[in-house]
Amino acid sequence: MDPIRRVGVIGAGVMGAGIAAQVANAGIPVVLLDIVPGAAEAAVARMLKTEPAPFMHRAAARLVACGDLDRDLALLAECDWICEAIVEQAEAKRALYARLQPVRRPGAILSSNTSTIPLAALTEGMAAEAAAQFLVTHFFNPPRYMRLLELVQGPATRPEVAARIADFADRGLGKTVIACRDRPGFIANRIGGHWLQSAVNHAVDLGLTVEEADAVMGRPFGIPKTGVFGLLDLVGLDLMPHVAASMKAALPADDPYVRAMREHPVILGMIAEGRTGRKGKGGFYARERGPGGERLKRTVDLATGRYRDSEKPVLESLALRDLRALAGHPDRGGRYARAVLLDLLGYAAALVPEVAEGIADVDAAMRLGYNWRYGPFELIDRLGAGWLRAALAAAGRPVPPLLERVGEGGFYRVEAGRLEAFGLDGAYHPVPRPEGVLLLADIKRRSTPLARNGSASLWEIGEGVACLEFHSKMNALDPGTLEMLGTSVAMGRKGAFRALVIHTEGEQFSVGANLGLALFAANIAAWGEIEGLIEQGQKAMRALRDAPFPVVGAPSGMALGGGCEILLHCDAVQAHAESYIGLVEAGVGLIPGWGGCTGLLRRWAEDPRAPQGPMPPVAKAFEAISTAQVAKSAFEAREMRLLRPTDGITFNRDRVLAEAKARALALAEGYAPPPAPAPLHLPGASGRVALGLAVRQQAALGRATPHDLVVCDHLAETLTGGGRDPVDAVTEAELHALERRNFMALLRLPATLARVEHMLETGRPLRN
Amino acid sequence: MTDVVIAAYRRSPFQPAHKGALTRLRPDEMAAQVVRALVDETGIDPATIEDVVLGCAFPEGEQGLNAAKLVAFIAGLPEGVAGATVNRFCGSSMQAVHQAAGAIHLGAGEAFLCCGVESMSRVPMMGFNPMPHPGLAARYPQAYVSMGETAENVARLHQVGRAEQEAFALSSHRKAAAAQREGRLEAEIVPVEVGGQRVAQDGCIRADASPEGLAALKPAFRQDGTVTAGTASPLTDGAVALLVCSGDYARTHGLAPLARVRSIAVAGCGPEVMGMGPVGATRKALARAGITARELDVVELNEAFASQAIACLRELGLDEAKVNLDGGAIALGHPLGATGARITGKAAQLLRREGGRYALATQCIGGGQGIATVLEAP
Repeated sequence: MDPIRRVGVIGAGVMGAGIAAQVANAGIPVVLLDIVPGAAEAAVARMLKTEPAPFMHRAAARLVACGDLDRDLALLAECDWICEAIVEQAEAKRALYARLQPVRRPGAILSSNTSTIPLAALTEGMAAEAAAQFLVTHFFNPPRYMRLLELVQGPATRPEVAARIADFADRGLGKTVIACRDRPGFIANRIGGHWLQSAVNHAVDLGLTVEEADAVMGRPFGIPKTGVFGLLDLVGLDLMPHVAASMKAALPADDPYVRAMREHPVILGMIAEGRTGRKGKGGFYARERGPGGERLKRTVDLATGRYRDSEKPVLESLALRDLRALAGHPDRGGRYARAVLLDLLGYAAALVPEVAEGIADVDAAMRLGYNWRYGPFELIDRLGAGWLRAALAAAGRPVPPLLERVGEGGFYRVEAGRLEAFGLDGAYHPVPRPEGVLLLADIKRRSTPLARNGSASLWEIGEGVACLEFHSKMNALDPGTLEMLGTSVAMGRKGAFRALVIHTEGEQFSVGANLGLALFAANIAAWGEIEGLIEQGQKAMRALRDAPFPVVGAPSGMALGGGCEILLHCDAVQAHAESYIGLVEAGVGLIPGWGGCTGLLRRWAEDPRAPQGPMPPVAKAFEAISTAQVAKSAFEAREMRLLRPTDGITFNRDRVLAEAKARALALAEGYAPPPAPAPLHLPGASGRVALGLAVRQQAALGRATPHDLVVCDHLAETLTGGGRDPVDAVTEAELHALERRNFMALLRLPATLARVEHMLETGRPLRN
Repeated sequence: MTDVVIAAYRRSPFQPAHKGALTRLRPDEMAAQVVRALVDETGIDPATIEDVVLGCAFPEGEQGLNAAKLVAFIAGLPEGVAGATVNRFCGSSMQAVHQAAGAIHLGAGEAFLCCGVESMSRVPMMGFNPMPHPGLAARYPQAYVSMGETAENVARLHQVGRAEQEAFALSSHRKAAAAQREGRLEAEIVPVEVGGQRVAQDGCIRADASPEGLAALKPAFRQDGTVTAGTASPLTDGAVALLVCSGDYARTHGLAPLARVRSIAVAGCGPEVMGMGPVGATRKALARAGITARELDVVELNEAFASQAIACLRELGLDEAKVNLDGGAIALGHPLGATGARITGKAAQLLRREGGRYALATQCIGGGQGIATVLEAP
């Protein structure tokens, strides 16, 4: 398959610009054109200031060549793929395609990022050669972070064209590609748009407050905590009428989505006043300033459209964990849950096979496109198909044929260790995985762990490679994790496996040491135990690094504190591009104690490009650790030396484990553990003074708090090698002892404990 | 006594560090291009040069390894020319002039290239490996005080308010912008080559500086302070070269001297108020010249910060109308080791242009001292 070497994106709105940024993130040059002169440049400049950042590193922005559509159309001649992301009007799009025809090079692929217009409408009147190269590639907002790509082929689309784009989107851009039928709104927006409409209608009809509706939709449904009204604020209330009009034009009048469409005077009034959500003057939720300048949280009253103070929802039904119990509760929360579930699940069950080949595609689309924890069919399995059938019948609603046919079984089952989904033919079929995808979830279904405790497990993942998995809450590290690290090394030493991968399935790789445990131990003054745990951690890290087999870290999401320290001790790292790595201990008034100070210091000391002398590595490590800096992508982690230049970066999360495994196997051939780390020449007391001067300048500007000064001094003492003279080399053992001593000294300070407590209670750092 | 004269003055364009056009130019190469141009234009036989004395505030990295001698090689000077790198922080290249003057007086050479260079893009202020003496830092912390803090101290002790500092900075930019617009800077600037590109213009001057813009800046060093990035000199890349020689040498080689060195001085002061360094040094130099401040026709007083420049003017009773006629470091930039030679050369050039008799060049120096040179029309 020919690789995609250069991409063109037309339309520098939020979607077009975001798609261009993600292509650039993947290292592929991209041309970004807009009809408005200068708009593409402005979009790139804006993206460099946007949070969360569309670019994974600043250098990626240089891969985007900006231009004006009318003047620079010729720039598209070199592109292998041109992605159109202009205004949602079929006529405008078709006119643009006609203009591209003479420019496009033979074999170049053209796609539309339309979210609602069927492909058939876009290819009307298109030459056969062009239609063969055309498809719909529907990204979700924001394109860097949302993992779903809906792909629609027309009857004329060459299969190789779809395969080439799917491969690039998957491996290059990290998207999960879901093949959709050419129906309006494809999968996710058809189901999601209907759900939004229905959830608003029922909230109004049943008299729920905005907060109540969002609370019911949130945790019990497994939907992000923005719920329904918070989501509307996020995407913009004004977008809804446009989407509705477009869907109404394309769908039959008796489609439940069309029937659910209703104009709510309160919402129309909000749009007219510019209260369109987060981008406007507030939406259903708003932040206002009180008369004394205090911050007020306000919420719209759905009956009057006026703001009132926000309220915490109090409903008996909200305390229920079980979805079926919630949907059976008689209060308005329960009735709301039931009404929305019937609409959502009844509609979704009726849409297969209209919108997708199978139920697994529908569930994946909703999980990845709307960040739902469960897709509709997974929700049905949680409720029971029988329950749903009975509930639909009781409400006088039709029961979709697929729901009838599934009988008493669920839509999913595990058979001989494989996940299977109910098919249209009435039989169960294995849920297919793309080639090269290895999921720990699949391995776990078909095997038992080599070792396991409450915090971590060790799995065999094939070809003699083992995978160490954390599974505590947020994958926080505790004595159980350390014990399992030790067990893994011991088993590997005995030849239980050839190589080890450390990978977790949760959203985060690991948020670091369990602070709750540390606080508890400090409160009962169990200082000896705490210091023992620090020493045990350091030993475990060294054992990992010095083991006679290769260890490959495979993070995705946050790898903070102790999670980062584990990666610093791996032989290699194969990181998901969306890895957020950092030594954040200073945020809670501590310093890294499991070899993190030493590890980062060594990375800088061994960097041939860094300035020479005893101070530069110390200054670099100090800057990153004292400010608790977190890399916002794997590329930033490379710049911070938390990853080595030789560490790999994988864009598709589902491919991280397989690529880490391949890396581990490659290293296992003739593997020898790294040589003992050479002692470092560090600046000693003078370096500590120099760092202190820099920190005091920050304090004068109000950027460092009193306790920051204390933490920084302990960090400086550690990183400069204690009081050692610069002519003496400092060993790893000495540095680890310094880490321990300074960690313990800080943990005994009330100001540090106040930070730990505050972090546990609020999730935010205390600036004391 | 042998007469010492400033026979020629040239400099590179001054460009903002990190974002300016000289960011990618090595400092030794930058200095060598200026030296070469100066030698070519004066038409002197380079073999008659005794020594290249190069001022540099952080002589390490690309400006380390006795850069003076390396600059001589890069500029293609004969092997017989010697080279010494001197460091008196911001006073380094004025010190180069003083050393040359002393040597000429002693009969230890006839012609010296007195140069200065600093790439603040490529060698950070404080250097790559700042390693203060821990004992001194504990006993006498002001020895390592930051420059911004000294500017705040001077502003407080001498009651120089924020508005006054901003008016001074604005005036510096306006004078420099006018000089640039009217071509008055062209005579001193040697265009330099960077990666095939020719850079011929100063880059720090803000012709569009406004009172509102300056008033909107946040304090740069203290949360409750008055000094901002707008009232401090910017981090700058630049190089300067002067031909300093005996009066006889100038006559024999057909050179028309800009000025004669009349007297020189250095003087220490409290490090925490290093910005007041020019006061003591200037008083000594004026006394040695046997003149008073009122007799000065031209003054170049380095603008490390507006607060210290204003306080020094007041303390010395200098007439602001005679000070920094083409703008000062706040507008032009302050490449630390190069500034001393620039203000000495500029004072000499202005003395001729304005037709006066006496000129003063003086500057403050981090760590607590000042340096001053009194020039007289030749």
